[in-house]
Amino acid sequence: MNGLLQKVYDFVDERIDLKTLEAKMMNEPIKGGSRWAYVFGSCLLFIFIMQAITGILLMFYYIPSADHAYASTQYVIHEVDYGWFILSYHFWGSSAMVVMVFAHMSQVFLWGAYKKPREMIWLVGLVLFVIVMAFGFTGYLLPWDQRAYWATTVGVEIMDKTPIVGDFLARFLKGGPTPGQMTLSRFFVIHVMILPAALMGLAGLHLFFFRSAGPAGPFRGAPEELKAKTDFFFPRQVWKDIVAMATVFMAICTLAFIEPVQLLEQATPDPGDYHPEPEWYFLFLFQMLRLKVFSGELGQFVAGVAIPGAFLLLLAALPFIDRSPERNIFKRPVALLSWTVVMIGILVLTVSAILNREFLE
Amino acid sequence: MAHPVESISSIKLAWAVSWSAFWTGFPFKLIVALLLLAGQVHPWEGAGLVTLLVVSVPIDIWAVGLTARTVFLERLGVEVRGPVGVSLWWQGAVLGALVLGGAYYAVGATMAVGRKIAAAMIVFIKTVYPTLPIAEQITLELLLWTIPTAIVMLVCVLIWLQLFGWRLKRFVITSGQTSSASLLERVRQWDYARVPADPTLVLVSFAGVIVTLTVVFWVLLPVTTPTPHPDYPLPPVEKAAKPVKPEELIKKTEATLEKAEAVLTALEKEKSKETKKGKGK
Repeated sequence: MNGLLQKVYDFVDERIDLKTLEAKMMNEPIKGGSRWAYVFGSCLLFIFIMQAITGILLMFYYIPSADHAYASTQYVIHEVDYGWFILSYHFWGSSAMVVMVFAHMSQVFLWGAYKKPREMIWLVGLVLFVIVMAFGFTGYLLPWDQRAYWATTVGVEIMDKTPIVGDFLARFLKGGPTPGQMTLSRFFVIHVMILPAALMGLAGLHLFFFRSAGPAGPFRGAPEELKAKTDFFFPRQVWKDIVAMATVFMAICTLAFIEPVQLLEQATPDPGDYHPEPEWYFLFLFQMLRLKVFSGELGQFVAGVAIPGAFLLLLAALPFIDRSPERNIFKRPVALLSWTVVMIGILVLTVSAILNREFLE
Repeated sequence: MAHPVESISSIKLAWAVSWSAFWTGFPFKLIVALLLLAGQVHPWEGAGLVTLLVVSVPIDIWAVGLTARTVFLERLGVEVRGPVGVSLWWQGAVLGALVLGGAYYAVGATMAVGRKIAAAMIVFIKTVYPTLPIAEQITLELLLWTIPTAIVMLVCVLIWLQLFGWRLKRFVITSGQTSSASLLERVRQWDYARVPADPTLVLVSFAGVIVTLTVVFWVLLPVTTPTPHPDYPLPPVEKAAKPVKPEELIKKTEATLEKAEAVLTALEKEKSKETKKGKGK
């Protein structure tokens, strides 16, 4: 470190004990050494930071009113220098966040990293998962085109089916009988204020719990091998995290180029030729609601609220149900089979929803 | 004593090398694809595709060499001297081309037959249960033809892995030497083979490359959307008013006035001449 930088470093170190902080941050031991499988959490944090940056840039131009939301989004796309790219990056970033959350949760599940003493990390992670999905849902309305309007209408209707709180939630979110100015204002506030604050706080808690319990390490390997491979967070894991973040960044940019955001017509209470559909990561749920077995009020409640709710509760209870210390996924056939069935189910229903479009034309 | 390579199956060995090699090369290919896209050249067709394929070859050779060397050392405790990438890459590529050719027909045929059978089964189900809803029909039909297709695809992948693993094993037996290093030394060896030894230098050069690529990216990136909305009202193009320069304007006006004066004088002279001529008559 050259003279001036060293002086600045020493100045800060003298006041906040930078060396101890640095040692705590960078010298965390990783049992079994650095791995590519550990990059998902860092990637999620990176995507969130990028979403925050691009979101702030978009807010410089976006007007959250029913009269101007559509026009201001069109203005961002057509008039603002590089606006189309920033918006497209933000749009695809939200999808990347959902994919990364799935990857992160799958890794933790398959590696048995939710087991004692890491139950708290898992529980906070689940809440973060819900927040990420809520980000996607609330952000989808903001461009105020037909796609946004009707996806929200369908989403709020599903929410309405929740017993006891459903009606209140739906009324609170809509702020009136049909989506309008109040809905947009509320979704905007939730999207740019409440959810980011909640995510930042809980992500901090998640990290704190993670650092307290320590990384779980690989699920197999002889103790002497794991000990020999044990390494500090810096430099090898940091390097892997950086490479993974750069790859994620480039993948999002590539998607923004291949499929830039294009708005449909401005939102109106008449769907016209448009067939309402939610964002792709909710398509499996949407397709499930179309199944005959889930028709009717009760069926819609079961598919739209009861099954996803029960699934989330099951995930929350998982560390307390599965108390076996065995972490090797190949020795946990029920866990492996369940994960495979859920993933195939989501995939099949999502593809079915896409195929279903041609029957609506 | 059995060679250490016998301790692992061909499929596992091939998977360990090819999966890691794919992800090792992927970010570099993505950089090329992204720069092509920023320059509005599609990397999946024409010149863009050729560029990407040409660039991918050395990247893949390097990635296969790096990952194979570390997998051999980590899993088998075998050290390989000399170049690894080229030899393994061409063998993997030839086998890949052969299996891919076969898979193209096998998967295509399974898909076609599967779809026909699925459609026939749906027709049959509809005779028994005429009110089969659309959503159920779609999911059922999808499952009926994707399951056999996925199985055939998986078998093709396994065949390639088995063949590539067999070549990898041959390579290890002929070119590898059992490492005499301890586990701890080997751990350091394979770790440093994958992650450069000087982290500061790596981070600085990494940052330098990122800055350069970012500049190139923003230079190439279109300022306005490449996909404008058909109904978006474009603002009327206003002609820019020329800036007024008083001195030039005065000079120009003076010149015009001088010209006009000269013309007027000439006309007056002509008129007076005509008048004189008329009086003379």
